[in-house]
Amino acid sequence: MKPAPFAYERPRDLDAALSMLAGSNGSAKIIAGGQSLGPMLNLRLVQPELIVDISGLAELKRAEVSGGELVLGALVTHADIEDGRTADVTRGAMRAVAANIAYRAVRNRGTIGGSLSHADPAADWISALAALGARVTLRSLAGARTLAIEAFIVGALESALHAGEIVEAVHVPARTASAHWGYAKSCRKTGEFAHAIGAVLVDPAAASARIVIGAIDTTPIVVTDAAELFGGRIAADYKQRFDARVADVLLAKAGIDDAAQRHIHISVLKRAVLEAAA
Amino acid sequence: MTTIALQVNRRAVELPAEPRTSLADFVRDKLDLTGTHLGCEHGVCGACTVLLDGVPARSCITYAAACEGADVTTIEGLDEDEITTELRAAFTREHALQCGYCTPGMLVSARDLVLRLPDADERRIRIGLSGNLCRCTGYVGIVRAVQSVIEARRARNVGPLADGGRTVLGPAGSGRAATARSELRPARPAPASESATPSSISDFTPATILDQRFTLPHPPAKVFAMFEDIAGIASCLPGVSLTSLRSERVEGSIRVRLGPIVASFEGAARVERDPAALSGRIVGIGTDQRSHSATQGEIRYRLLPLEDGAATSVELSIGYTLTGMLAQVGRPGLVRDLAKRLIAEFAANLDRHMSGAPSGRAAPAELGFWSVASDVLRARLARIFGRAFGRGGAE
Repeated sequence: MKPAPFAYERPRDLDAALSMLAGSNGSAKIIAGGQSLGPMLNLRLVQPELIVDISGLAELKRAEVSGGELVLGALVTHADIEDGRTADVTRGAMRAVAANIAYRAVRNRGTIGGSLSHADPAADWISALAALGARVTLRSLAGARTLAIEAFIVGALESALHAGEIVEAVHVPARTASAHWGYAKSCRKTGEFAHAIGAVLVDPAAASARIVIGAIDTTPIVVTDAAELFGGRIAADYKQRFDARVADVLLAKAGIDDAAQRHIHISVLKRAVLEAAA
Repeated sequence: MTTIALQVNRRAVELPAEPRTSLADFVRDKLDLTGTHLGCEHGVCGACTVLLDGVPARSCITYAAACEGADVTTIEGLDEDEITTELRAAFTREHALQCGYCTPGMLVSARDLVLRLPDADERRIRIGLSGNLCRCTGYVGIVRAVQSVIEARRARNVGPLADGGRTVLGPAGSGRAATARSELRPARPAPASESATPSSISDFTPATILDQRFTLPHPPAKVFAMFEDIAGIASCLPGVSLTSLRSERVEGSIRVRLGPIVASFEGAARVERDPAALSGRIVGIGTDQRSHSATQGEIRYRLLPLEDGAATSVELSIGYTLTGMLAQVGRPGLVRDLAKRLIAEFAANLDRHMSGAPSGRAAPAELGFWSVASDVLRARLARIFGRAFGRGGAE
């Protein structure tokens, strides 16, 4: 249960980190809080030649509101968000999600950028941030690009990161005053990876809704215009109009063939809808 | 080796350690602070929980090198701590320990709850302790002990500190280090060269079975004939290379990538065919030397005519049993997603191969191809996904 030997570098800034990554020909791994990579290193499932530790980079520890959105550096931890050390533009939505990730000892080191990079389909931020309409900025020596969260996650443990590229920041749009938020997950044991996640951002005043069905073993189902799940239109009575059959079809289309599994996902999504409407 | 300087229990420490040394091993092996216990060593059981810059952290998945300049407090450093002193008395009173293995980590987490929770709510305490496993005493006494300390302190008007006193952003323990690099890349021992190929391949009952289906625009008889060409089939399977090929026995390896995990299973497979039923079976066994994992797998296939025999539906049933380290993270769902991606590419390669086009295997050298695939390939795969898996929720 000890990792295979690796070389270790702690770069002085982001550019130095990117140069190390670019010079490694794919044999390097970035580590931040190490709460996902650490177990894999200890189990020797991952054996990089070089670990580039970015956990000290101050430029990735920022949190600021600019232009109506919250910009979180990749090194902001779940506990930072849970405790309100970062500004919040989601009226508590992100704080509640953060507070229920794994355990406090993990949240004190685990980072939002690391969680996204790891791209575990059962992790919370993938689903929650997709529902909130967040985007992620990726940086390499060649420059930066920005993707929607739903475009960033491409499969189980697979993100859109190219070799030499790292997650730099997450951009979260402000949740409007009329938007309702609901988030539910099902875990066999508290703090373990979820077996189903439902995330709902409904704005009856604007007749819009985003819905995410997550923890389905691959890229979450993200419905950016979710009227079809509410009988064709979003209004104040959306709770009554929620149509589980449409969710069932979406899940079947995504390859969830087990009716019991679909039932669990739909029940969890329903709980998220009820929470939003409460 | 790299020299690590940090504070442990208010004492400055500067010692050499390998970069792979966990903080737990650092304090136990180099400082004889053996109160920090190691249970699972992958961040699940909580026995190794210590305070890092004043807040709880897992010392088994935090590397000592990453704690340069940090302030570490182990259970030994909490002897004089006010909250921990109260907790020790409460643990004794409430019979909150027997063997004591989880207790150091339990006390560190309990201290954090006493500090942060507004009141002695049992549910919140139980959730707060869910990352610390006890396997002998049970949690009733532990929860009561924590409740009693919170109640007593709040009764004395000692208020909670919801954020545990932390004011800076980023991972606990990070941020006070100068740049560093370890000397020289470590020499890697060459992988053991003993033969990984088993002499006999027995039948087995798979732990997990995945059903998959794809269609090919060729008649069933032609597809079945193609399936006899093991070398041709292998060339369509990303990550597969053959070392030996006799009539019914194949030896070779398959390289699989799942996120950051790369496993290379070396082994052998037995091939069975039933021409009358247009079906067959491949049973294999393989081991990955690096992760000390082993897998047994079988693929059953059945060919069904489509479009009056002009096309073929290939129905696959993939069964496998995974043991060893990989099984720790190889949740069936993750493997299912990988299998889907593999089969989508296999189907595309097979189609190209049967249409006489060169197989596209030069580009994706292993199964985890998403990260290297071009956008064009990705779009094509998306169409194949639609064709192969979109139909009636086929799997």
